Amino acid sequence: MDLKSQKLVITIDHDRYLNWKLFLTNEFKKITSKNVEIDCRDINLSCKEILSLIEISNEFDCKIIGFFSTSTSTIISAQSLGYPSQLILKKSSSNSNKINNVCPDLSTTRFHQGTVRSGEYVESSGDLLILGDVNPGAIVKAEGNVIIWGRLLGIAHAGSKGNSKAKIAALQLRPVQLRIANKVARGPKGENQLGLAEQATIDSEKIIISPLELT
Amino acid sequence: MGTDTRVILICSGKGGVGKTTLTANLGISLARQGLTTAVLDADFGLRNLDLLLGLENRIVYTAQEVLEEECRLDQALVKHKQESNLSLLPAGNPRMLDWLKPDDMKSIVNMLKEQFKYVLIDCPAGVEDGFKNAMAASQEAIVVTNPEVSAVRDADRVIGLLNTNSIKPVQLVLNRVRPKMMASQEMLSIDDVTDILALPLLGLVLEDEQVIVSTNKGEPLTLNSINSPAAKCYLNIAKRLQGEDIPLIDPIEESSGFGAKFRRLMQTKIF
Repeated sequence: MDLKSQKLVITIDHDRYLNWKLFLTNEFKKITSKNVEIDCRDINLSCKEILSLIEISNEFDCKIIGFFSTSTSTIISAQSLGYPSQLILKKSSSNSNKINNVCPDLSTTRFHQGTVRSGEYVESSGDLLILGDVNPGAIVKAEGNVIIWGRLLGIAHAGSKGNSKAKIAALQLRPVQLRIANKVARGPKGENQLGLAEQATIDSEKIIISPLELT
Repeated sequence: MGTDTRVILICSGKGGVGKTTLTANLGISLARQGLTTAVLDADFGLRNLDLLLGLENRIVYTAQEVLEEECRLDQALVKHKQESNLSLLPAGNPRMLDWLKPDDMKSIVNMLKEQFKYVLIDCPAGVEDGFKNAMAASQEAIVVTNPEVSAVRDADRVIGLLNTNSIKPVQLVLNRVRPKMMASQEMLSIDDVTDILALPLLGLVLEDEQVIVSTNKGEPLTLNSINSPAAKCYLNIAKRLQGEDIPLIDPIEESSGFGAKFRRLMQTKIF
């Protein structure tokens, strides 16, 4: 069997191993495969931690080809470093229910990577994070917030089930139309300032646009 | 041949932006360079690639008859009069609109791949069945658009569909560019278009009255009037398609009328 092409999944079970880095080092020593996928379970890993994980794998001449996790922040970190990664939705065990109560939207956040083009429609039952532009003619819709790491030139609808606290944020906010909960507004005219991320929220029954606040 | 044949879909979404004209001229240009090329007219409801190439009166069979084994492929292929490297295959008869399925298209293209280095598929306008059939058989695509909001919007839609069907690479041709209007900012600029569509630009084609003349005569520009502005653009696109590095023309430079020169002079003084 060709070991180099073999795929191996390492599962980090942090209930048993307090220090996952140590665990991983031990695990890498044992394996013969070169291509490894990592299942991070529900550990929250930052970009830095993923980089150190990759460093460990490099020491053993292993190549990490992808990540699995039930944690959205791990997936964001892995995606932003350019690794293919997949969010695994949790089964309704007692443990996950507890987490869901703390932060109800986290497990239903949807990612869309790439440009949303005219005629396309992206919907999420939680928050929606788009890494790319939303072009004119496209519609993006979420029951929670809509966050666009790119330009919003189409139509965005946040809080589609009536959550008027939801917001729409984009690096460049120049939509055809904005909708939050049951409010509709036309997009602003003219060029906006470059390099200034903006957000749209409802303030006293009106949709207003302001510089993005990190809350 | 066979494996290294390039099957290129030429599509736009919107009608009338110049898909068929580009297909005909690109076909001639590639054939000129000694490459065996087949142009497949997938727009069989309103077929007119044969008109542009001046081959209307030579069509006897179509791909439909080939698939039904009523004739051989080489009987259906119409060789161009002057460019023997170029052949036309009409996909079907306008009378029978719904016989073609994506699988039929694939088998036609697979047959063409045996004989040709390039297969150019002239896609019908719209994003319905005709487009889906044509897309099923293609590996890469050229999206044609005009510097108009509606054409860009439709092109964007088409690019989305091409991406979901993992057709790569997808390249852009900006057709009917009017340098004077672009210089005076009355028309969408090249940057405006590439900003939205986010595709590599394969080439620009300048607006040229000769295109209308050549269409009516059934002689593509690249065949006999190589010195017309649009023909040069088509030839450059054909060369770039083969990986040659030819710089894009600057439409602002091209608008060499007195007005544009004066305006440029004014701008240089201001800044």
